[in-house]
Amino acid sequence: MPITVLFASLACLLGPQEAAAPLELALLSHAELARELEGLAALHPELVQRSTLGTSRAGRPLEFLRLSGPGAEGTRPALLLVANLDGARVFSSSVALQHARALAEGYATDERVRALLDSTTVYVVPRANPDAAEARFETPRAERRASGIDVDNDRDGRTGEDEPADLDGDGRIAWLRVRDPDGEWIEDESDPRVLVEADRGKGQRGVFRLWPEGRDLDGDERVAEDPPRDGRVDRNFPAGWQQHAQDGGLFPSDDPEARALLDFVLARPEIALVLVYDAQDNLVGEVKGVGDDAPRVLRIPPEGVLESDAKLLGEIARRYREATGSTVKAEGAERGTFTRWCYEQRGLWTLAAALWDIPLEPPEPEEAPAEEPAEKNEPHKGKEKDGAPRPSDDAKRLEWIDAAGAAEAWRFMPWKPCEHPELGAVEIGGFAPFARLEPPAAEGARIAARHLEFLLDLGALLARVEIAECTREELGQGVTRVTAVIENPGFLPLLSRSGRRTETTRPAKVVLVLPEAARLLGGERQRLLSNLPGSGGRQEYQWLVHGPAQMELGVSVESAHAGSAFRKAEVQR
Amino acid sequence: MSATLQAMLLSLALLQEGAPLRPGFPGLPAGRAPRVEIAWNRLYDAEQIHALLDRLAAEWPELLSYQVIGHSVENRELRLYTLNDPATGGEREKPAMWVDGNVHGNEVQGAEAVVYLAWYLLENRDSNERVRALLEGTAFYLLPMVNPDGRAHWFQRGHDAHSSRTGVQPVDDDRDGLFDEDPPDDLDGDGSIVMMRKHVPGEGTHRLNADDPRLLEPVPPNDRGIRGDWIYVGEEGLDNDGDGRINEDDVGGYDMNRSWPSLWQPEHVQGGAGPYPLYWPETRAIARFLLEHPNVAAVQSFHNAGGMILRGPGAEAFGEYPAADVRVYDELGKDGEKMLPFYRYMIIWKDLYSVFGGFVTWTYEGLGILSFTNELWADEQASPDGRLASRGADRHFFDDRLLMGAGFVDWKPIEHPLFGPVELGGFRKDVGRVPPSFLVEEMVHRNALFCLRHAEAMPRVAIRPPEVTDLGGGVRAIDVVVANERAIPTRTAMAREKKIGQPDRVLLEGSDLAVLAGGFRTDRFRPERIELQEKEPARLLREAGLGPREELRVRWIVRGSGPAVIRYQAEKAREARLELELP
Repeated sequence: MPITVLFASLACLLGPQEAAAPLELALLSHAELARELEGLAALHPELVQRSTLGTSRAGRPLEFLRLSGPGAEGTRPALLLVANLDGARVFSSSVALQHARALAEGYATDERVRALLDSTTVYVVPRANPDAAEARFETPRAERRASGIDVDNDRDGRTGEDEPADLDGDGRIAWLRVRDPDGEWIEDESDPRVLVEADRGKGQRGVFRLWPEGRDLDGDERVAEDPPRDGRVDRNFPAGWQQHAQDGGLFPSDDPEARALLDFVLARPEIALVLVYDAQDNLVGEVKGVGDDAPRVLRIPPEGVLESDAKLLGEIARRYREATGSTVKAEGAERGTFTRWCYEQRGLWTLAAALWDIPLEPPEPEEAPAEEPAEKNEPHKGKEKDGAPRPSDDAKRLEWIDAAGAAEAWRFMPWKPCEHPELGAVEIGGFAPFARLEPPAAEGARIAARHLEFLLDLGALLARVEIAECTREELGQGVTRVTAVIENPGFLPLLSRSGRRTETTRPAKVVLVLPEAARLLGGERQRLLSNLPGSGGRQEYQWLVHGPAQMELGVSVESAHAGSAFRKAEVQR
Repeated sequence: MSATLQAMLLSLALLQEGAPLRPGFPGLPAGRAPRVEIAWNRLYDAEQIHALLDRLAAEWPELLSYQVIGHSVENRELRLYTLNDPATGGEREKPAMWVDGNVHGNEVQGAEAVVYLAWYLLENRDSNERVRALLEGTAFYLLPMVNPDGRAHWFQRGHDAHSSRTGVQPVDDDRDGLFDEDPPDDLDGDGSIVMMRKHVPGEGTHRLNADDPRLLEPVPPNDRGIRGDWIYVGEEGLDNDGDGRINEDDVGGYDMNRSWPSLWQPEHVQGGAGPYPLYWPETRAIARFLLEHPNVAAVQSFHNAGGMILRGPGAEAFGEYPAADVRVYDELGKDGEKMLPFYRYMIIWKDLYSVFGGFVTWTYEGLGILSFTNELWADEQASPDGRLASRGADRHFFDDRLLMGAGFVDWKPIEHPLFGPVELGGFRKDVGRVPPSFLVEEMVHRNALFCLRHAEAMPRVAIRPPEVTDLGGGVRAIDVVVANERAIPTRTAMAREKKIGQPDRVLLEGSDLAVLAGGFRTDRFRPERIELQEKEPARLLREAGLGPREELRVRWIVRGSGPAVIRYQAEKAREARLELELP
């Protein structure tokens, strides 16, 4: 089982002139990650600031990096990259750290890195949920997503009394299956190692019960059904939060990690776009927009991405798939996620990528980027041609593991008999912890490199306010007309449709700058601009000013998240 | 000190002799004087409210104390007063009632109602049997001011009856990047923000009332060219930030009664909600306290105004409340209508307006506690027969005849930098949403006593004497009836549906006892009909708790003999305990 994922050389990114030494990035414990961040900040003090946004429930500092080229005047638009909200997705932390490192190290030599960091601030929160992530480095190893409050899952009046345990002493929390006439699981016809839920509608009768590996410490004939932690940071945000769900926490922002992230975003109006490496995905799977003006139901607006935003996000998603070749659609609930809060309640452009999963196709003999993912998935849609049993997704994953050879065999543990202290004869095995979350070493490096490619282009997509024209025209009798055109050369509009709806993203402020001696005859000195499309969207303003013939006139535009500009009004030639 | 002791001894002696208790003040007017004299015909600022409670705590140190559960944005203490008789059990062992006031800074009289409640209970404890019993079985958590900053601003600065509702954390209301830079301005420095009207002959929308020129009335739309001579130009204030508007970015700009986690909605759906639930320190401190005190079994929150006894749901989207709980709500709410003249018992979304993220909806929907909001004071109360209402003429009549005109700032000219010559005038901030001084006491008394109606309904569990049946072969059945003697269930239907808190427990303990089986009987006459609990029959779990005045029949099958104890444990009721001896 590889605890370390080796990343290949980043020479391709650093430019042909410099073939950097191979970089080794590991899956890092909290302490190791802290040392890496510290080292990066110490090596590149002019580019990288390291700080904390809060403290986890167990007292670990929540670290972040701020990367920006020197010499910014005013505030640059910012990107926020957040990884590892789902505690088990430790791999995403390594990718985020790789990005930070590549940006810091590439700034001196790489044009694209410099272009990004000279125009944009990049915030990186590589590990949003350090408490749960630490389980990756403890023995026994377990996929732990929860780090929050303890709930009485089995309603026996006790909390946390029946947690998983490493029965066979192999250092991993796997799965436990037991033959039971009340069972709800059967063997997959195409691969008996895989269990699928029995479908009574097809006359299937359950044979197995399936539990996490563990004892029955409370004697209720259920195994590991009441672990000591239940609240999940990635279910603890206000958008779509589900009250009384066992994993949602007592209230949104109850988890200190979630609250710290909420406050972090609220304190930084320069953040224009959020990229989340976690369990959600809106870059591979189709995002269906809801109408911009879809009516509220019982006063509550419908959930989801607004149509006009979905269209633009769709184009970014296309570029994402082009840059990364990723076909990883995420499964899983969307309740109370950070991703949803950022978009639905803050109006931020929000991208989410689930970096890896075991493919549903056997590995290619030659590594070639998947060019036609839709076609590749085709065989699994609909019925198998020859009438053979249709394999479950898990069976397909197992097929991939089998084909990938000895190096990947750790991902599935063959069922082996075991004498359970409470249940008697059982079998322990199944997918190993992290089997579906951590790619093979070479693949991990590729994923990180390709996602960096995507990240490098994000800065150029952001909205920027520029003053395309600023002219003055003397109308006689000391009256001057000032005309200014504000333009957005970026791809994205100044505010998302959601940002305009929620009124949470700040509009840009357009101000006529005039001397004391001048008097405004027409127009408003200060205007707020929120609707400015991307790709060259323009907005014109006019003012009439009375004053001395040689008075200095100009226009300024200030945006919290799209830059600022000033331009003197000139007579048009 | 010796007086306290004497009074206690005296009342104890009376109790023992079974002699009638001597009624006292407050309650009856000819009784003895209260031990702590408080003027109940006025309102107090934030510090004075604490000072009043401190006087009570000094007089009854064993019964009343406070803890600071948090601090406001301006670092004022959130003092949570606990009223409990520790000689009869710790506060956490008893069902407790939470009572708060003044979450909206301008809705001040809730704090006085909270203080009155404490004062009433303390003053009457030694002379009123029901009050004594209440304090034996119940604790009270009293937070007079949820929003002490808002209260302080309302008292200290220029405001009208409706402003200073918010807390004081700056919010950029007009989204210009500046925070709280254009509040109303108390131009004449009289402590009230009133209206500004401008004389625009023939070009206005309003005219002076013919009978009373203090009143402006709208000129109805017409085609006859009739126009008014006056316009309103807004509330007293300036264009402080030069954006062409007045008073558009006041202090704060949020609503701490839209911040609670049940069906919370963001700002663009629910104005005032803030960026996430429990964003403000005051709200978060209270939420933490309540989450850590599952013994709270009743909640009352005091607001103003309009004369209402409100319950959730706050929004239609929540759906109906479980019928079993609605019956209890109705029982209390309808009594409240009789106790509080002109108050109506209402459902928030249906009868008032939609509120997402309200406090009492969270305490019920999130915590499973029966909860009310009372809106204190209705204009109709100005006259016992309700003939004076909220119309301008009625208000002036009342103000002229019963307050000698003290409540109205008569129109006076000023020079406004933006509007030129205008007139300032209107009712003062302490008119309209709070009662006049001479009616304050009635308001706080009736509302405090509504709390006691609610508090007396909190669950009380009793275990009736058990019946032991010999089943032969050394095996016996123990049948026992466990009863909730009150209207409020130990677990509301909401709590049991949503699995809030811990299920109730019925325990049978005896060192020489083997409990073979146990469960709840489903049939009064057929003892064999029983819902057996498979595991741990000596520790029966009951998710449903005990409903309103419910009698639950429990049966255990045991072997053995000797002393045994039966206990009923619930988060929101005192433990009931019964000892028995199996021969």
